[in-house]
Amino acid sequence: MSRTRPPGFLPTLGKGGQGGFWRHSAGATVDTYLLEGKAPSLDTTALPTPTLPASGEGAVSSPAGGGGWEGERGDSSCTRISQSPPPPLFQRGEISAKWAITAPPTLFLLVFFLAPALIVVLASFQYPGEFGGLAPLTDPGDGGEHGLTLENYLFFASDWLFAEILLRSFAVAAASTLICLILAYPVAWMIARGPKKHRNLLVLLVILPFASNFLIRVYAWMIILGPQAAFALAVNGLLGAFGLGPVSLLFSPFAVLVGMVYVHLPFMILPLYTNLEKHDPVLLDAAQDLGANAWQRFWRVTWPLSLPGIFSGSALVFIPVLGMFAIPDILGGTRDMLIGNLIKDQFLGVRDWPFGATLSIVLTLCVLGLAWLAAWAGKARRAHA
Amino acid sequence: MGWWDWMRRSLIPGPSPEGGRAFPSLSLRERGRGEGAASTLVKTVAMLLLTLPAQAADTLHLYNWNNYISDQTIARFEAECRCEVAQDYYSDNEEMLAKLAAGASGYDLIVPTGNAVEALVRSKQLRSLDKTRLARLGNIKPAFMNAFFDPGNRYSVPYAYTVTLLGYNVEKLQALGLPTDTWALIFEPRYLEKLKGRVTVLDSQRELMAAALRYLGHSVNDTDEAKWKQARDLILRAKPYWAAFNASSYIKELTVGNIWLAHGYSNDMFQARADAEGAGRPFRIGYAIPREGAVLALDSMVLHRTGRHPELAQSFIDFMLDGENSAELTNLIGSGNPNRAAMAYIRPEIAHNRAVFPDAASMKRLEMMRDLDRKSRRILNRIWTEIKLR
Repeated sequence: MSRTRPPGFLPTLGKGGQGGFWRHSAGATVDTYLLEGKAPSLDTTALPTPTLPASGEGAVSSPAGGGGWEGERGDSSCTRISQSPPPPLFQRGEISAKWAITAPPTLFLLVFFLAPALIVVLASFQYPGEFGGLAPLTDPGDGGEHGLTLENYLFFASDWLFAEILLRSFAVAAASTLICLILAYPVAWMIARGPKKHRNLLVLLVILPFASNFLIRVYAWMIILGPQAAFALAVNGLLGAFGLGPVSLLFSPFAVLVGMVYVHLPFMILPLYTNLEKHDPVLLDAAQDLGANAWQRFWRVTWPLSLPGIFSGSALVFIPVLGMFAIPDILGGTRDMLIGNLIKDQFLGVRDWPFGATLSIVLTLCVLGLAWLAAWAGKARRAHA
Repeated sequence: MGWWDWMRRSLIPGPSPEGGRAFPSLSLRERGRGEGAASTLVKTVAMLLLTLPAQAADTLHLYNWNNYISDQTIARFEAECRCEVAQDYYSDNEEMLAKLAAGASGYDLIVPTGNAVEALVRSKQLRSLDKTRLARLGNIKPAFMNAFFDPGNRYSVPYAYTVTLLGYNVEKLQALGLPTDTWALIFEPRYLEKLKGRVTVLDSQRELMAAALRYLGHSVNDTDEAKWKQARDLILRAKPYWAAFNASSYIKELTVGNIWLAHGYSNDMFQARADAEGAGRPFRIGYAIPREGAVLALDSMVLHRTGRHPELAQSFIDFMLDGENSAELTNLIGSGNPNRAAMAYIRPEIAHNRAVFPDAASMKRLEMMRDLDRKSRRILNRIWTEIKLR
């Protein structure tokens, strides 16, 4: 990754997310100027200038390093704040406005996200109720089990089975994400580079399947993959020509993968498209002028710039696939249980809520661990670059 | 519908006053114990909202299996009692129990299977019946009274039953020269070799274990871990030949001809047979009770503790005890009928079907499933996960 990339590509990355918010601070003014590629010294009002080159360096090189740009922006703004004491983000009258704006979503998250998450954590340490639900926390007086226990986690650890299902789910999620990426990249590129007047229509076509319930679409795949269907007949005809026995497409790991990719593909295409659409074609022209061939232009310009899109698309595919239970239920065969099915069974099949909660917690921790690892790897790479 | 109705629908767990389907309550409150302050508050608000608008005709809240009562029966009852019947549906006992455990309330009448009735009785969620209101209780065949889950029928009145058995493509199995009335068909490789990829079994821990246990000569209620492991080995040996664990689409797969043999419920097989006939398929669907014995699932009407119309619910039970009303369900879905008075109204091809109305000898080999305690549930759970994974 080069540091010499012209700063002209940065505005495209700077328009998302918190840009507007940070514009209120002096530091962000610097940021804005940097992003627009102007010389910071032109600003005569807000800027204590001396520290600029350092922070500017950081801001410019970071996205080229390939990490998530949001975190990077946070970092660079922190540096700036420590170097030049900024005026308050909001003026006095604006503080109440700030609270008025941020309180409802914060409250919403606390009530509908944090509280349920904590209930799940608590449930994972409780005993299952004899007839479903949870055993009470306090002694009911009938000698029944009550209080907190590690039993559920010990049960998870008691057998390699459960970890194996977890690993298999991660493998399926990784495979689905990879296939989605390979399929989505050209589509997103095509839409982003297509004539402007057609783009909205094409995006609409990508999200059109959402107009019908996804279960119905998955059931449609049952028909497409069924042994009497033209597709299966064609595949088996082809295999037969090579002397291979007929295979069953439906009720197989293949069918599960097809379903997963099919359902989640738009979640990969859309973030990629929003990213690719913002790339300045001038960059590619410049690269060509400097002698880069088509592959180099893609690999050294487009690909690194699209990493943020790839990351968000991958997260949007990977995490839902990890928890999906309906598709393996409908399209899977006799060996296609995934962690989502196992968790669902605990709640709707075998009346073991605490173990279901335990599995959910373990799954969440694994995902968080993976995210942390990715962030750490990105950081290490940047530090190296 | 005004916002007022919308508020009521959203706030009240369980059935909404108009009979639409409300959102399931998601609160994790412990069932049957003291209720948390929050849920009490919700209930108070709900009660207030309920009482504010003038109450129209009474509504009976029926929590029933999907497609488990005929529309004509409902319409007749509504005319007779000058009330409305609002139905919510479940497709699985455990789903129903989970929803109740999560705090759903307000259901007057539920139609659970025996082992679920057992769980509901033991967790004191049911209201006892006033038999003076059930004049036609004598219509029920004695064989279906005093079941293990409710001696003396204090809480439950039998509604209908199904048998878990094997459904098959008659022409295919004939052509392959296979028998049709043994669990060996889904467990023995020598038969399965001819059926590879054309067999589905129920995606249910208890049902599949029950079939394997019966095939091995044990009771479906045996909780001995060694026998479960024996059953597991039997299942794992047969599994490579099966197409899928399937609880939802085997009717369709049988009807289309993709699957030649399915482990499933008698009324589903009835449906598959009718569908295949209706679609003019070149084959017929048959079903038979395996000679080793099978599971009988007796569904009973019970009153839930939180129901607000117990009298109305009991008049509904008595209404359903009437032979003609009861027969209507059997004629619709091919379920077994525990009602003597209904036999005269049941279509002869169903009444003479030995898989729906078994003779005394095979009736003896049918067993009802008991509820498992939580320790056994966990052991079975682990065995089942192993079955699914290997």
